[in-house]
Amino acid sequence: MTAGTRAPTAAPGRRDRRPGTARMALLLLRRHAASRRVPAALAAIAACAVALRIALIAHWDAYGALQLPLVFETGAAAAIVVTTASPLGDPERVAGRWLPFLRLATALALTAAAVGALAAAGTGGHLAGGTLDVLRNTAGLTGLGLLCAAAAGGGLGWTGPACYLLAGVYGLYTQWHGPALTTPWIWPARPPHDLGGALCAGLVAAAGLAVFTMRGARDPAGE
Amino acid sequence: MTAASAPVRARPRPVTRGPGRSAARLLLLELRHSPMPWLLPLVAALFWATTYRKVMALPPQWYPRAGTMQIGALLAFASPVIGAAAWTAARDRRRHTGHLVAVTARPRWTRLLAPWAATTCWALAGYLACVAVVYGQTAGQATGGGPLWWPVIVGAASLPAFAALGFAAGTLLPGRLTAPLAAIAIFFVLALSTELIVGSRSYWSVSPIVAYPWDNGPNAGVATFYPYLPDLSIAHVLFLAGLTAAVLGALGLSPDAGGRWLRRAAAASTAAGLLAAGTATVLAGTGRMDAHGMIAIPALHDAASDRPLRYTPVCRQAPVPVCLNPAYAEYLPAVAGALRPVLSEIAGLPGAPARISQAAATYQQGTGNEVGIFLAGRVLAGQPPVYRLLLPDQFDGPQLTTAELAAQVRSSTGPGILASVVGDPAGSAAQQAVLAALITAARCPAPGGDCPVPFADPRQTTRGTGPRRGGARRAGSPEPGPTLDIPAVRPGTPAYAAARRFATLPAPARHAWLVRHLAALRAGQITLRQLP
Repeated sequence: MTAGTRAPTAAPGRRDRRPGTARMALLLLRRHAASRRVPAALAAIAACAVALRIALIAHWDAYGALQLPLVFETGAAAAIVVTTASPLGDPERVAGRWLPFLRLATALALTAAAVGALAAAGTGGHLAGGTLDVLRNTAGLTGLGLLCAAAAGGGLGWTGPACYLLAGVYGLYTQWHGPALTTPWIWPARPPHDLGGALCAGLVAAAGLAVFTMRGARDPAGE
Repeated sequence: MTAASAPVRARPRPVTRGPGRSAARLLLLELRHSPMPWLLPLVAALFWATTYRKVMALPPQWYPRAGTMQIGALLAFASPVIGAAAWTAARDRRRHTGHLVAVTARPRWTRLLAPWAATTCWALAGYLACVAVVYGQTAGQATGGGPLWWPVIVGAASLPAFAALGFAAGTLLPGRLTAPLAAIAIFFVLALSTELIVGSRSYWSVSPIVAYPWDNGPNAGVATFYPYLPDLSIAHVLFLAGLTAAVLGALGLSPDAGGRWLRRAAAASTAAGLLAAGTATVLAGTGRMDAHGMIAIPALHDAASDRPLRYTPVCRQAPVPVCLNPAYAEYLPAVAGALRPVLSEIAGLPGAPARISQAAATYQQGTGNEVGIFLAGRVLAGQPPVYRLLLPDQFDGPQLTTAELAAQVRSSTGPGILASVVGDPAGSAAQQAVLAALITAARCPAPGGDCPVPFADPRQTTRGTGPRRGGARRAGSPEPGPTLDIPAVRPGTPAYAAARRFATLPAPARHAWLVRHLAALRAGQITLRQLP
């Protein structure tokens, strides 16, 4: 079609079938979510919440009661991080104008879903640390995972939360067997209302979201 | 040249490689492509942060350090190894190369074993490096005993099992979520399954994370007077080897895994592995904590392990020599220094101990998770009498510095030694007064020193080590050790006045009086009025 020719117009009496902006946005979101296996991640988060709920029925001593939510928070965070891997690679990066917003929206929505699901799982049971603890730990662990995904690739981003789990559990352990780890960077070992722990977790979460939004996960060739 | 005389050229031989060489080349390829070496720095950092620092803070003795290292190393390596193995196993699915490798000449089972072996090799290399650092440091610090290799073997046997579990998970469920969920699930199983252990008799003891009786902890007093019992470690190795064989064998059971013979071998491996793992679990369930503080499994127990170890004690010449097990040699100056004032008071008295000697503790599983730790045998034994003491480190209490340990010896063993000389602490009023006076004099050796304890508070009692009294304690409670309650004399009473009078005597005068009257005092024939 040249500049001199007229663009074809819709035949009179026919409705324009092009989707509207909102519908386009929804379609884009849906396809982005499908390409990142978001439904599978949501299922994994739900499984973590159900497992936490079942585990809370059992009797745990002080050790176990403190460590238990952290394990499931890590599981949920790892599931979120797995969705950062892109199966499309460079073509999507070049053509996807909305990609940073889609990444941010997906990560935020999944984190919110994880916090909500885990907090709901603790309702009526003895969830050590309560909802604040869940929010802080899940957000911090997700941020750590996003940073790892940006550095090592979406497929291996889970190594950050999985290894931090041991550090967090060790931090909780040192509350019984001193000397206690008091650094706020091991935030799972800090009380839920501790400002230092919340700031560190928030900082890591913000950094992870920012880096992931701007750059996305590093996707090695062939993965 | 005719055809008959022409040299016969040999036919070129087909290039073949032996199966061993091919397998080695495959392993080499997998070693290069394994994600495990990239995870090793992370694992090393975790090991340093959560295990190395903790192990190095323990007394330089092999038993507590080896056991703590076994647990810490397993937790540090478990998640990364399982995750890496699951990630590697899902590689073909992730890269869409499943059909490409399916048509290669190698059977599927053989192809699967190569990446598993590569992950295991990298993990073992990292683990052995960590062990070398910890054992190297400990060898330079420990003054008694030798390296315990069974905990190292258990750790080494765990890594192939972890890799096999991760590999099976990645092969059967080759999704993106498999690796992280498997890594976190194994941590959950390892770290939190110990909640199910009640007492020393538990099937959960088969978990390799149980390096010692769970309620007794990494007690420094264990495996110093008696040999290390490998019973539980043998059960662990049997279980882990069985688990590895069963899981790897199960991967070879599918029809596309290989030929008939290969599948038969896989089935045999699965069956043998399950049998070994089941047997080990049953054996671990029959274990119990023995009197020496370790898990003994009757079917695996070697009676020779119940004989005490021979050792030459390290001694320090004081008014009365103080001797310790060589494993505790670093504490000797502090302990001898802490007891010197007490020993100066009793040296040369009739019936006083000729030597203070460290003895073995005996352990008893109480109800639930309680463990009782007592002195094995009598406090005073032999002729000339030897006072047998337990150091605070031999109890399952909080970690003590040398200064804290010396302070505890001064406040607990000191009064115990004095009570063993003066007689029954609940005996006559004169005995109580003399005992209180000697305790005060030992605490304040300077003449005329004003030491209100133990006179100030009539409800107060002084603690001292004694024979099998009140030793039972719940593991983890802050006050370690058996105690001997020495009643304090009440202020305002004649006993109080007599004790204060006796304590303020010059040390030679006090000593001379005791030399002459100690036998009568012990027999209850001395009254308060007769005290100088």
